[in-house]
Amino acid sequence: MSQDPDAALMLAFQGGDRAAFRTLYQRYARAMVGYCHRYVKDAARAEELAQDVFLKVHASAARWTPSARFKTWLYRVATNHCLNELRRAEHQARQDGPLDEEGSPDLDALASGGPSPHQELEAGRLEAALRRVLASLPESQRAAFVLCRLEGLSYEEIAGALETSVAAVKSLIHRATVTVAAALDPAAPDLQEGRT
Amino acid sequence: MSHLGEDLTALLDGALPPARRAEAEAHLAGCDACRAERDRLAAALARLGALPPPAEPSPWFATRLEARLAELEATLPGGAPAAGRTGLLGRLSAWRWRLALPVAALGAAAGLALFTVRHQRAGRADELAVAAQLELLEDLETVRAAGDLADADEVAVVAALDELLPREGRP
Repeated sequence: MSQDPDAALMLAFQGGDRAAFRTLYQRYARAMVGYCHRYVKDAARAEELAQDVFLKVHASAARWTPSARFKTWLYRVATNHCLNELRRAEHQARQDGPLDEEGSPDLDALASGGPSPHQELEAGRLEAALRRVLASLPESQRAAFVLCRLEGLSYEEIAGALETSVAAVKSLIHRATVTVAAALDPAAPDLQEGRT
Repeated sequence: MSHLGEDLTALLDGALPPARRAEAEAHLAGCDACRAERDRLAAALARLGALPPPAEPSPWFATRLEARLAELEATLPGGAPAAGRTGLLGRLSAWRWRLALPVAALGAAAGLALFTVRHQRAGRADELAVAAQLELLEDLETVRAAGDLADADEVAVVAALDELLPREGRP
């Protein structure tokens, strides 16, 4: 696995080089915060989850071997952690009663600069619709879809992250894509409802 | 004629092997239904490009993470990074508390077996010693099966348990 640029850093960290770990988390902080934000709406919570992921990596680094590509292993840790967080949140929600409408656009995010207000509104609606349909998917389909469509991992990398076969990943992504496509169709009620 | 199904998505993702890709494209050329489905899926995927950019780490991300790491490391023996404790000794160190009870139980079983063997008639001593060893092996299997042995490392440590037991009384 000498082709993995992160392997040398992990091996150095296993030898006690703490700076190597810092380099790793600086390299992947942005990706992990973004990935965790696909599972939870709150940006601060996403950042906390990403930190949890790096703490888990730190705590279990001795178990990592160069036979596992670091990036794939990192996404595996992150996926398991985020799915556990969702299960915990759902369990809590069942105990506490309904939460705020998950699908409403994030007004704080919409208030920031960048694209036009109309574009941001549309992007917010799209994101809300995507969050709703992702939340309705089985966990494995949701994880495979996010890793493929939003994180840009290959089928092989996703298979490594989800500890399954490439054939299974192909099936998961296909089923999730068909479901998401139906929900994101401009004529779909899910998107129409955000405009009324 | 069977349609492309899962291969349609894989084709859009460029994930089909060359031979299968050629077959799929040939099928598409003659199948209106698959072409319509491809266009529908491709349009939906294109819409994902309009999503807001992913969240960025806050300026305090590294500071907070470093603080949490320092807190974590302060709880470790000698403050060493967890990754620095590698090898069987490191794993045994991490496992020593989790293993304390089963090791103590196995040790007690071995002691009881020895005590019993020494107080039996000489003619039955060998049979009892064998029985005690069998019991130890069964206990070891119980530990192996009952614990939350999450990975190969932990299984390896448990497999070495019998080496931690008193050598006395071994055949």
